[in-house]
Parts: sequence; structure tokens; C-alpha cells
Amino acid sequence: MTSSFPKQLLFNTLALFGVWLVLSGRYDLFHVVIGFMVACGVAWLNTGFAHSAFHQFPWVRAVLYVPWLFLRVVQSSLHLTKLILSPSLPIRPKLIFYRSHLRHQGAMVMLGNSVTLTPGTITVEVNGSHLLVHTIDEEAGEDLTSGRMEKKIAQVFQEETKDR
Amino acid sequence: MTVLAVVFILLGLFFLVVAAIGTLRLPDVFARSHAVSLTDSLGAFCVLFGLALYQGFGINMFKILVVLALLFLLNPVIAHATLRAAYRAGVKPQAEENS
Repeated sequence: MTSSFPKQLLFNTLALFGVWLVLSGRYDLFHVVIGFMVACGVAWLNTGFAHSAFHQFPWVRAVLYVPWLFLRVVQSSLHLTKLILSPSLPIRPKLIFYRSHLRHQGAMVMLGNSVTLTPGTITVEVNGSHLLVHTIDEEAGEDLTSGRMEKKIAQVFQEETKDR
Repeated sequence: MTVLAVVFILLGLFFLVVAAIGTLRLPDVFARSHAVSLTDSLGAFCVLFGLALYQGFGINMFKILVVLALLFLLNPVIAHATLRAAYRAGVKPQAEENS
């Protein structure tokens, strides 16, 4: 799955040039040509670090994962809003040790980031395949403890998970 | 379009206020950081999305969407770094532990 050097170079150049086009906002010949030259130069300097996880990343399926995550983020945000605004403050904070079966490094990063992005759960410590997660109450941590989030990410990276 | 934009911005401000209240009400660093993460997940999202709608289709809309994407990638990192620092410095959360 490791892509070749010219392919990586092309990808890097296009990505950098895209960022230039969005951020510069000037489209006369001078600025576009300068931007393209700089993008080529920076991409050439930065390509060739062989095993970067970046280039073995399943971009398409990762993008498909985003809407699901976004829905969960909105739901748990509303749940947390309800918790904060209720007068009795019914929180039950808990530290959970979670052992993940994901093998890909990028998958672990994605799991940790997803957990932290969802309000109500935050990754406190990562050690190999162990996560230490702080949850604000039972319901907020349910996505993680039921293994649903890990299963979704395993689908993205096409790994199998054991049933928990 | 402008009405929709204003609705989104007001909704975002509501969530920002809730996050501020949460930061004051919750007991310790760990619980408070949950309230803070509410700021960037719904608060900043609604405000920035409202601004993007207000700008209409164009280069500025793209810039705002880039900011939004970066916010969603970077904020978990910052929240995690803060909490890990607190944990390693020996701050004990008010929490039950289990596996």
C-alpha cells in the first residue's frame, strides 16, 4: 500500500498548492506561479520519509466516518448541556481503562482523538494499546465501553475486532 | 440566508454560555475540561458555520471551513495534552476507577 515517490510528490504538491490557493486569495499570474513553485519546492524537500503513516491512511473511508462521528458529537453535546444546566448536577465521573484491539497506529490516533472530541469523554493517557479515559457519566462513556466506536474505526481500517 | 446565519450564531453563543457555566460549576480539572470541549464541538462550530453562511459562497467561506476543520483536529490534542499533564503531575480526579 506504500505509494511510490513520484505519486507522493504529486500528492504533496497538490495539497500544498490547494492550501496556498485557499489562503492567499489572489489569483493573478504572479501569485499563482510563485505559490506553485514554493509548493513544489517544499513538497520535494519533504517527500521520501518512507514509512509515514500519512500515505497509508484510508482517506476515503475516513471521510465516510466523519458524519457518524459528528452525529455522536452533537448528541453527546446535548446530553452534556442537559447535565450542566440541571440544578442537581447529576455527574458521576469515572476513569476507565480501555484495551483496544486496533493494530494500525493511525487507527489508535483516530480512536483517541474521537474519544476526546466527543464531549463527556476525554483520553487522559495512552500507552501502547491501552487508553485511560475519563468519562463524566455512564451514558457519555457508553459508546466507548460498548465497543461501538472501536468497531467503526476498525471498519475504516478494515481490521476485524473481537466481540466484547 | 442571513436569518439562518443569525440563528446558527445565536445557537453557538448559547452553547458557549453553557460551557462557561459548566466550567464554573463542575468540581475538578477533569470534569471541567469536558465543559471546555463543549465549546469547540458545538459552540465554535455553530458560530463559525453561521459566519460561513453569512459570507455566502466564496473564498472567505472556504477559509472559515479550513479553520473549522483545523479546530476539530487540533482541539482534542490540546485537551488531551492538558489532562495528561495534570494526571502526570499527580492531580487526582474525583472519580471511581474500573476497567
